[in-house]
Amino acid sequence: MKSAAAGLGLLAALLLLALLGPLVAMDPNLQPALGDGTLAAPSIAHWLGTDQWSRDVFARLAHGARASLLVAVVAVSVAALLGVIIGLAAGVAGPWMAGVLRRVIDVGLALPRVVVLLVLLAALGTLPLPLFAVVLGVTGWPSLARLVRGEALRLRHAPFVAAARALGASPVRVAFREILPGALPPLLVAAAFGTADAMLLEAGLSFLGLGIRPPSPSWGGMLLEARDYLGTAPWLLLAPGIALVLATATATLLGDALRRSLTPDQR
Amino acid sequence: MTPLLEVRDLRISFPRDGTTPLVPVDDVSFEVHRGELVALVGESGCGKSLTGLAIPRLLPDNASLGSSTRITMDGTELVTLSESAMRPWRGRRIAMVFQDPMASLNPVMRVGAQIGEAITAHQSVPAPEVRRRAIALLAEVGIADPAERVDAYPHQLSGGMRQRVMIAMALAGEPSLLIADEPTTALDVTVQAQILELLDRLRRERGLAVLLITHDLGIVAGRADRVLVMYGGRIVEAAETTPLFAAPAHPYTRGLFASIPRLTGDGGRLVPIAGTVPPPDQWPEGCRFHPRCPVAIAQCAAERPPLAPVGDHHLAACWVAAGRTP
Repeated sequence: MKSAAAGLGLLAALLLLALLGPLVAMDPNLQPALGDGTLAAPSIAHWLGTDQWSRDVFARLAHGARASLLVAVVAVSVAALLGVIIGLAAGVAGPWMAGVLRRVIDVGLALPRVVVLLVLLAALGTLPLPLFAVVLGVTGWPSLARLVRGEALRLRHAPFVAAARALGASPVRVAFREILPGALPPLLVAAAFGTADAMLLEAGLSFLGLGIRPPSPSWGGMLLEARDYLGTAPWLLLAPGIALVLATATATLLGDALRRSLTPDQR
Repeated sequence: MTPLLEVRDLRISFPRDGTTPLVPVDDVSFEVHRGELVALVGESGCGKSLTGLAIPRLLPDNASLGSSTRITMDGTELVTLSESAMRPWRGRRIAMVFQDPMASLNPVMRVGAQIGEAITAHQSVPAPEVRRRAIALLAEVGIADPAERVDAYPHQLSGGMRQRVMIAMALAGEPSLLIADEPTTALDVTVQAQILELLDRLRRERGLAVLLITHDLGIVAGRADRVLVMYGGRIVEAAETTPLFAAPAHPYTRGLFASIPRLTGDGGRLVPIAGTVPPPDQWPEGCRFHPRCPVAIAQCAAERPPLAPVGDHHLAACWVAAGRTP
C-alpha cells in the first residue's frame, strides 16, 4: 500500500498548504513597498520569491491551492451527482427511456470537454469561483454516467434485486438502495481520478485566461503570468508547476489505492 | 370457506420470432386456503417457478398471461391490476423467498438494513422502531443473538442463517401468503429440515399460507396439507398429502416415488423414470407424459386427459387412472 501512504502524505501537505498557508502568508494581492523589489529570488522574507508586481509567490500559491481544491471537489461532486442520476436511470429505465439516455451519454462522451468548456465560459463571461466549479462539473458527468450505467446493467438482474422487487420495492427504491451501493466502489475510484482531471482543467482554463481571472490567485494563472520571465525568474513557473504535478499525483495515487482496496480480485 | 388465493386457467406464454408462442405453463388451476401449506412439486422446467412468479406478477416483461387466466386473492383480481397498484401487494400480502440465499441478499448492505427496507417499503416507521422490528423478526426466525446479527453483512452468515434472514424480510410486510421457491435447495440436508420446520411453525403461529415450490417430494411429507404435482406445464395430480403418499394415482407421481431412496423396505433397486423432460417446444400432443409412461394406452397420445377425481379430494390427469376408478 505504498501508493496509499504516498497519496495520503501528499494530501496532508496539500491540505496544510491550502488551510494554513493563507494564514501565515500575506495577502496575495498586496504589493510590498517599492524597493522590496519585483522578481525577487526566494529568500527568508519571501519563501518562494516575488513576481513581476512584487507580490509574494508563496502567498499566491497557498491561496491558489484553496481555489484549486475547492474547484476540484465541487466539480467532481457535481459530475458524480449528475453521473449517478443519469447513469442509474439509463441502467434501470424501460427500453425506450434507456435507449434515449444511452444516446445522451454517448453524445456527452463524444463532445470534447475542453471545447465545450471554452464555449460555455466564453458565453457565460466571468464567473464566481463556485459557479466556475459547477460549470466544470456539468461537463464531467458523461464518463461517470457510463460507468454507473454499466454497473446498473450488471446488477439489475441480480437475485437480490429480484428479491427486493418481490417484496414490493419501487423502481426508484431499487435503483438507489439496491443498485447504487454496488456501483459505489468503481464510482469512488473514478471520482478520485476525476479530481486530478478537474485540477488540471482548472489550471489549463485559468492559463488560457478563461478560468479564475486575475488578480485572484490560481495556479494556472500564475503559470500564465510566469511565461515571460522563464529565463530571469524561473521560480515563478516552478512553484505552481510543481504544486500542480504534486496535486494531480495525490489524486491519482489515492484513486489507485482506492481501486486496489475496493477491487481485491484485481490486486 | 373462500380460499385466500385462487388461480384459474393460468397460462403463461412467451412470444417467439416467426412461430407460435412458447407456453411453458398451461391450464393450471389451484387454490390456497388461509394457514394452509400447499406444495407444488415437479422437475426442473415443469413450470412450477413460473407459476410462483405469476402470482405476484413478477414474470419477465415479455411473458403474457392467457386471456382466461384469473388470479384472485382476498376477492381482488390481480391479473388486471396496474404495476403501481400491484406493488402494495408484493411483500405486504404476498411475499416471496427465493432459492439462493447467497445471491438474494444484497452483499453490501447489513441484514438489518435489508429487513428495514422490506418494512419501510410499505409503512412509514421511524428508524429506531424499524431496527427494533428487524431484531424481533430475526428472533422470530430463530437467529441467535439477533441484536448483534442485525448489524452483520450477509457474508458473515451461514447459508441457513441467510435463508432465515430472507424469511424475516418476507415476514416484514406481514403477508398472508408466502411463496417459497425451492427455499432449501441450496442448503445442507440438516439445515433444510430446520428451514422447513420454521416455515411450518410460522404457518401455525401466524396463520400464514405457504406455497412451497420444490422438486423434492421427500421434504413435502409430513408438512404439506396438499400436494400439486406438475409435469410439462400442467398439474397432473392434486391431492391431500396423506392419500397421495398412500396411493399416488398418476404414473408420473408413482415414478417419482419409485425413484426416491427409502430407509426402510426391501432395499430394491431404484426405478428411474425413462427418458428426460422434453423442453416446452417439444411437448407431445395428448398427455404430455405419455412417451415416458409405462402404462400409456392409445388414447393418451391422442387426447389430453382432464384433471378428474380418482378418490376423495384426489384429482389426477390420467386416462388409465380414470379408467381404474370404480
